[in-house]
Amino acid sequence: MSMTQELLKARTSLENNLRELLGVPVFLIEMDAFALPCGCGGVTINTRGLQLDDLEVFEEHILKYLTDTATSLDIEPSFLFARLIPGTAEIASINARVLCNSCYMDFGRGSGKQPRPDIYIMRFDRRK
Amino acid sequence: MKLYVPHIGHFEGLEELLAGSDNIYAVYMAGSPEYVGTGRTNLSTPKLDEIAQQTEYAHSKGVKMEIVLNSSCMGGQHLTPEGYRAIDWYFDKLNSIGIDSITVADPYLVEMLAKDYDMDVVVSVLSFVDTPQKAEFYEQLGATTIVVDPAVNRHFDKLEAIKDTVSCKLKLLVNEACLYQCPFRYAHFNFFSHANGPGPKPNVLDDYYYYKCLSLRIKDPQQIIKSPWIRPEDLKEYKHITDTFKIGGRTHFVNWILNNVEAYANERYDGNLMDLLDSIKDLKDTFYIPNRELDGAIEQWKKCDKVCHKCGYCKRLAEKVIHTYSGSGEDIRKIPLGSIGDRI
Ligand SMILES: [Zn+2]
Ligand SMILES: [Zn+2]
Repeated sequence: MSMTQELLKARTSLENNLRELLGVPVFLIEMDAFALPCGCGGVTINTRGLQLDDLEVFEEHILKYLTDTATSLDIEPSFLFARLIPGTAEIASINARVLCNSCYMDFGRGSGKQPRPDIYIMRFDRRK
Repeated sequence: MKLYVPHIGHFEGLEELLAGSDNIYAVYMAGSPEYVGTGRTNLSTPKLDEIAQQTEYAHSKGVKMEIVLNSSCMGGQHLTPEGYRAIDWYFDKLNSIGIDSITVADPYLVEMLAKDYDMDVVVSVLSFVDTPQKAEFYEQLGATTIVVDPAVNRHFDKLEAIKDTVSCKLKLLVNEACLYQCPFRYAHFNFFSHANGPGPKPNVLDDYYYYKCLSLRIKDPQQIIKSPWIRPEDLKEYKHITDTFKIGGRTHFVNWILNNVEAYANERYDGNLMDLLDSIKDLKDTFYIPNRELDGAIEQWKKCDKVCHKCGYCKRLAEKVIHTYSGSGEDIRKIPLGSIGDRI
C-alpha cells in the first residue's frame, strides 16, 4: 500500500473507532504525516468535535486506538499527545510523534500530563 | 430578483464567476485592509488599480460592484485624525473608481459615507439590525440599504415590522449558517476584524470560536437546522419583504459560489443542504441533509415562537433528516445520526 492509502485507511478507522466510543460523529478533518527540521516526525490528526473531557473519560480507549493507528503507520507509539486550544476544552489535534533527541529532552524535562497549557500527553515513554 | 454574489477578489476569479451565470446582479469583495478591514476572512486584498480594473469589467457585463469594509472593531483608529484622513482618502478613491456601493458596519462610517460620497451605503449584517428601531437609526444616519441580521430571518413579525418602518432597501443574507442566537458572534467578528484589519495584527494560534461553533453542532446537530439560513425554495416567502438576496462565501471556490447562485436563482436545490451553507464548510463531509426533505418546514418556522425546549420541532426534524457520512472515498456511506455510538 502507498503511504497515502495507508493514511486514508488509518484516518477512516480511527474516526469510526472514536465515533463508536463517544457516540457522536467526531470528525477527523485531516491526517498529515510530517517531518520537522529538528528531526522529529510523525502524524498529526486534526479533530473537530473532540473535547478534553472525552479524552479524560475515555483516555484508556483513545490511547489504544491512537497506539494502533501509529503502529499501523510504522510510527513508534512512544509519544502520543493531544493539542488543545489553551484555556478551553477544545482539542485541535491528536498526534503521534517520534521525537528527535533535542525535543525528547524538552518534553522529558517536564512532568505531568500537561507540560504546557496546549499539550495533553497521553503517552510518553522515557528512554533508558 | 437581485442576487448579490461573493467574489474571491482577483480578476481571473471575476471572469470565471461572470462567465458562469447570467443571474448575478452584483458582486461584492473586500477592499484593502490597510484602511478599513472586514469582519470576515478574505482570500485577497485588492489594491485600488485592481479594484478599478475589476469594477470596469463588472460594469461592462452589466454587473454592479460592491466593496465590503465591514470591520466590526477598529479599536478606535478611525476616530483619530490620521485614521479619519486615511479612510476619507480611500473612500474618495473608491468613489472616483465608480464603485456602486460600500458595505460598512460602523455607524460612524455609515454617516461619513452618506454625507460626502455618491456610493450607496449598505449597513452590514455585522451591524446586527434586528429590530425596526435599529433600522430606523441607520436609515436616519443615511443608509441606502440594510442587510438585516440573519438572526431574524425566521422571525417574520420582525422582518415585516422593519419593512414597514423604513423606506430604505432591505437585503437578506441567505446562507450564512451561524448558530441561531450565537454566543460567539460579537467576539468572533471583532477577532476577525483585528486579524484582517490595519493592524497591529494578533498572532493567533487557533480560532477558538470556530472550533467551538463546530463542536456545538457535532454534539447537537439540531443546531444546524436551527441556524437561520433561507432555503432556495423558501425565497418566495420573503418576496413581500424584499427582492434582494445576498449569498455569503467569499473564501470558497468559484464553482461553489456558482452552485449557490444557480440554486437561489432557480429557487430550488436537489442536493445536500450543507453544499450551500457558508461558514461551516469543515462539516460538509460530515453531515448529509437532503434539502428537499425540508420542504414545508418554513410553515413551522413562520409561526414558531423560538422557545426550543418547548417546541422541539427542529430537534425532531434533525433526527429525521440528518445523516452522517461514515468511511471515506469509495466506501463512503450515509448513516442515520441515531445509529452512531455505543457508549462503553
Ligand atoms: Zn524535534
Ligand atoms: Zn477591538
